[in-house]
Amino acid sequence: MTAALTIDGLGVNFAGLKAVNCVSLVIDEGELRVLLGANGAGKTTLMDLISGKTKSTEGRVFLYEEDIINREEHQIVRAGVGRKFQIPSVFKDLSVRRNLEVASCRALSVISNLGFGFSQSERSRVDEVLEMTGLADEAETTAANLSHGQTQWLELGMLIVQNPKVLLLDEPTAGMTQAETHKTSQIINGLKGRHTILVVEHDMAFVREIAERITVMHLGQVLAEGSVSEIEQNPKVREAYLGSKGIA
Amino acid sequence: MTKRYLEIASYAVFIALVLLAPFLLDDPFWLNRIAKYLVFGMLGIAIALAWGYAGILNLGQGLFFGLGAYMLAMSLKLASPTSLQQGSDTPVPDFMLWNAEPGSKTDLCCINKASFLWIPFQEQWFGVVMGLVFPVVVAGVLGTIMFRKRIAGVFVSIITLALVLLVRLLVIDAQPITNGFNGLTDLGYFTVGGFEFDPYLPETYYLVAGFLVVVLVGTRLLIETRAGLILQAIRDDQNRARYLGFDVPRYQTFFFAVSAAIAGIAGMLYVIVAEFASPTFMDLTFSISMVVWAAVGGRASLLGACIGAILINTIEATVSETEAFVEAWKAIIGLIFVLVVLYMPYGLAGIASNLTDRLLQLFGNRRAPGKRAANAEVQQPAE
Amino acid sequence: MVDVLFIGLSLGSILLLVALGLAITYGAMGVINMAHGEMVMVGAYTTVMAGIWLGTSIFIAIPLAFVVTALIGYLIERVVVRRLYGRLLDTLLATWGIAILIQQAVRLEFGLSFFGIHIEGLGPGLQRVDVPAVLQGTVSIAGIEVNTYRTFIIVVTLLMTALTWFILYRTPIGMQVRAIIRNPKMAAACGINVERVNSLTFAFGSGLAGVAGVMMSGFKTVFPNMGTAMVVDGFLVVVVGGVGSLLGSIVSAGMLGEINGLVASFSNDIVARAVVFAVVILIIVLKPQGLFSFKER
Repeated sequence: MTAALTIDGLGVNFAGLKAVNCVSLVIDEGELRVLLGANGAGKTTLMDLISGKTKSTEGRVFLYEEDIINREEHQIVRAGVGRKFQIPSVFKDLSVRRNLEVASCRALSVISNLGFGFSQSERSRVDEVLEMTGLADEAETTAANLSHGQTQWLELGMLIVQNPKVLLLDEPTAGMTQAETHKTSQIINGLKGRHTILVVEHDMAFVREIAERITVMHLGQVLAEGSVSEIEQNPKVREAYLGSKGIA
Repeated sequence: MTKRYLEIASYAVFIALVLLAPFLLDDPFWLNRIAKYLVFGMLGIAIALAWGYAGILNLGQGLFFGLGAYMLAMSLKLASPTSLQQGSDTPVPDFMLWNAEPGSKTDLCCINKASFLWIPFQEQWFGVVMGLVFPVVVAGVLGTIMFRKRIAGVFVSIITLALVLLVRLLVIDAQPITNGFNGLTDLGYFTVGGFEFDPYLPETYYLVAGFLVVVLVGTRLLIETRAGLILQAIRDDQNRARYLGFDVPRYQTFFFAVSAAIAGIAGMLYVIVAEFASPTFMDLTFSISMVVWAAVGGRASLLGACIGAILINTIEATVSETEAFVEAWKAIIGLIFVLVVLYMPYGLAGIASNLTDRLLQLFGNRRAPGKRAANAEVQQPAE
Repeated sequence: MVDVLFIGLSLGSILLLVALGLAITYGAMGVINMAHGEMVMVGAYTTVMAGIWLGTSIFIAIPLAFVVTALIGYLIERVVVRRLYGRLLDTLLATWGIAILIQQAVRLEFGLSFFGIHIEGLGPGLQRVDVPAVLQGTVSIAGIEVNTYRTFIIVVTLLMTALTWFILYRTPIGMQVRAIIRNPKMAAACGINVERVNSLTFAFGSGLAGVAGVMMSGFKTVFPNMGTAMVVDGFLVVVVGGVGSLLGSIVSAGMLGEINGLVASFSNDIVARAVVFAVVILIIVLKPQGLFSFKER
């Protein structure tokens, strides 16, 4: 099994506070890993470190064989890491279709984009993703007018269109209803195998639907790793984090 | 789809009006005035490109306008008959001679400490090229510094504001080579292939009008490219664009430089038509006026901003019979500006766009009647 | 050298007075008030008009101008600024529009010049104010002869700054303002009437500008345009000083005033101002949040 994402002793020190402290993780290609932990455990910070939003003070991150530690954000993205944020960020003034089109751009430099329109393959990919995320009817709607759940799916869709090797999903079901959460788990399950996915979540019901392996973080360090049942029965985990049972 | 046709139609009508103006206006003085306002229209386009599409509010656009103007003005000054009469074989600007140290050689290389900078401007094409290159380079450097450091929003605007004021002061202070407050006057005609562009000839009007059309259509097409779409995405959510792999500062700097290029060209055209270049081009009030024109016309509409600029200035000219009317007009513009910012952020173009939407809904998909060019521009950012 | 420093100090103190008002509104409401310069102008004109129509001196003009400009500021906040809460650039633009209106109002003498009626003290021309005899000439401080009027300016500035500090740090409403500066939503959640406090803050800031205008009228000619340059200088000081920092504004006003004075003594006024702008740009590029900033990153 090839390791898609290798995190080695990663850490960051914010003026004395070690938000992430010597974390090591290996996520295999095609795996879906869930990152659990109480608020403040360092999950989002870990994602910030991987995606380059925050500069680390120790450790390394490897995308397959490539060392991507502390590179510029857009360079890490170009290497093949896509990220979905806790607060869904899409292009509010553009239509849903336009959002996806922007995400589908293969060429990224200014010069290469001084052309008109998108290729057939790019457009059919966009249509595909519109179907997958159930937004086909909203294709021409301005993104600002979407519901919260739809915005989350749009952002997820943009990630899918981007076709990254590794997806970092930060609380993809935050603020969703039960039905929406279930739909999201279907979308994500559909991605398994073809993409490597790291998901940060709180909702245990959702986690149970998608998880293969779980890593639990606590106070910036890895506390435990294993399958859903192993984690649930792990005494250290129970002690440190009984966490939100979600809407179980 | 119909909205698109209306948009193309409004562009067509506007361009037709601009090109037909000399046939509707007999008076060469008015034609010259309109040419000046067409230049302001270009400035409106430059502002709208940076503001509406890139999300960069440039409060010091006069900087690029002024730089472009001075570059060409220097060449035209050297081509002026008076410069050739200063008692030397090579042209020397009259103000340099007036202010020269007694006994200094009357030659560009040495009449004062920095006059040698003028030497390459003896060739008119140098002035033209510099008029485009200088603003673009400044914009490129400024943009790279600001955007790489992720300076955004208000602070970018403040920097542009401070910069135009700074350069204005430098130009005024560099009296020996810029003639300070007085600016560069008594210029020669812009000459191409032996033809002299006298500011009151219809040919000069067409020079300006031609460039306006090219800039208008060219910029519009630029927005239609994928790069233009990505730019709007960056304007909406810089972070998200970054996380799609786009080198955000590069896009911002590119379009900032394009906006500067347009302003530079506008500066050069203005010098041709108005026959002078002065530090007043870099006055703060002038730079902010450009923003006012764009805001009223429509900050996210190239055609709207262009028309806004032309309209406001034309009305001001018509009203300038009486001193009191001009001042009253300025007050009215101030009021309109406040109202636009409060209630109509997309300006007249935005109103026209909304109206068109309603009309189209009412009449189904049939062509909506009465599409008057002036404000039928339907520039929605998502287009 | 001392007089160079002294001139720098007095320049700095006018800058500070203007900037104080801006600093408070910028810090508390995040508003860049481009009409602030016009408040200075209104303060100057109040002095002129009061001198002509009421026969009063500068001393009376100070509280009078404060009240007049505070009232205008209050109106501006309630009618315009309030509707643009959170929209920084739009507030900048809208207040610029208001600045134009105020300037034109003075130029057109509130529209009366249309009807051929002219109010003495208004209009597009220049006005001046007579400095009371007691403030003319020089005075001896620690053995050095210094210009009386400039000293007066410094004294008034110190007093107004002290007053502002006192209100901010020793009164209940000042505490509310500081709470709003830190976190407006929390302040509202704690029961502070943010809207009312903002209006009063804006009014107070405008009042300070009015007083600065009174000071200026004593040594500069009064004309409708005088405000524009002020507001630029003013908010550059504020932006350099940092959001929400009174100390930052004081330091940056002093610093920029001194730089201006020093460079002017070597070279000339024009280069001095250019250098100040360059310094400001440098600081914004290196530290956009200003030299002393309390807002979270």
